Amino acid sequence: MIRRMFNALPGPTPVRVVLAVIITVVAFVALMFLYDWMGSNLLDSGGAFS
Amino acid sequence: MSNLLTERTEPVASAAQRDGLLVRIIRISGWLSIWLGLFLLGFVAHQLVLTTFLAQQNNTVLQAEAEVYFAEVTVNEVPYAPPGAPELTDPDDVPLPPAVLLVEEPPQPGEAFAIIRIPSLDRLKNGWTVVEGVSRSNLKNGVGHMPSTPLPGQPGNSVMSGHRTTFGAPFHEFDELQPGDIIEVETAIGIHIYEVRETIIVRPTEFWVTGPRDGAWLTLTTCHPKFSARQRLVIFAELVGGPNAAVISG
Repeated sequence: MIRRMFNALPGPTPVRVVLAVIITVVAFVALMFLYDWMGSNLLDSGGAFS
Repeated sequence: MSNLLTERTEPVASAAQRDGLLVRIIRISGWLSIWLGLFLLGFVAHQLVLTTFLAQQNNTVLQAEAEVYFAEVTVNEVPYAPPGAPELTDPDDVPLPPAVLLVEEPPQPGEAFAIIRIPSLDRLKNGWTVVEGVSRSNLKNGVGHMPSTPLPGQPGNSVMSGHRTTFGAPFHEFDELQPGDIIEVETAIGIHIYEVRETIIVRPTEFWVTGPRDGAWLTLTTCHPKFSARQRLVIFAELVGGPNAAVISG
């Protein structure tokens, strides 16, 4: 599946590699924000009254 | 003849189609389950491992910053009369010299200004640094002091909040605290000793717990139950020792 997604990227292979790295980094950062938000709202907000 | 063939092959084709659809559904739900599992595994790892690692790293740095803060912050002596102190009614009474309260300058938001220790709890017996502020980013360091409340060791109700299960979980064992347990808070003034008086569980909207109180109190708040932000576990502790205790109690 990952190979299929990589092949679906436009441009020659070096461009695809750069695009894949950018997409991976952006997705990872977005995932960390999502985890952070989920953790603060569902698991442990820090216990403050504010 | 051809009609007979058509009649026989149609059900076979639709059965194959149905099987193909079923296989596709199973395959898709299998992949979804795998990705969902990885997502949840990543969430658990992020919350329990990564946040704790980062908070512990931060705490080491902040502990050093707090030591520098203790050495550099200005501590003033302020005359203090506890509320309810007897007023002089007889003109012949000689007024006593006013008691002196040690007061430090308020820290900046995010600044490490105190260290909390609870000898009866494993996680806090060696101390955890307290920063000024209870915003989400402040509390990523573990424990924060509510800026609108007095600093520890001062008259009133000093409120601190901390994580129960993530970001180092400094308040993880708070359900084990009993009345009479000792809480030490070290500031630039010295070590303030509080004794636990009461433990309650309230809703996150019950702001009264952070309100003013007579005397000198420390209110510690954290999430309850563990792994949920549904309620708050609140510890009320009263100042019983330290540089300002005798002055405040009169």
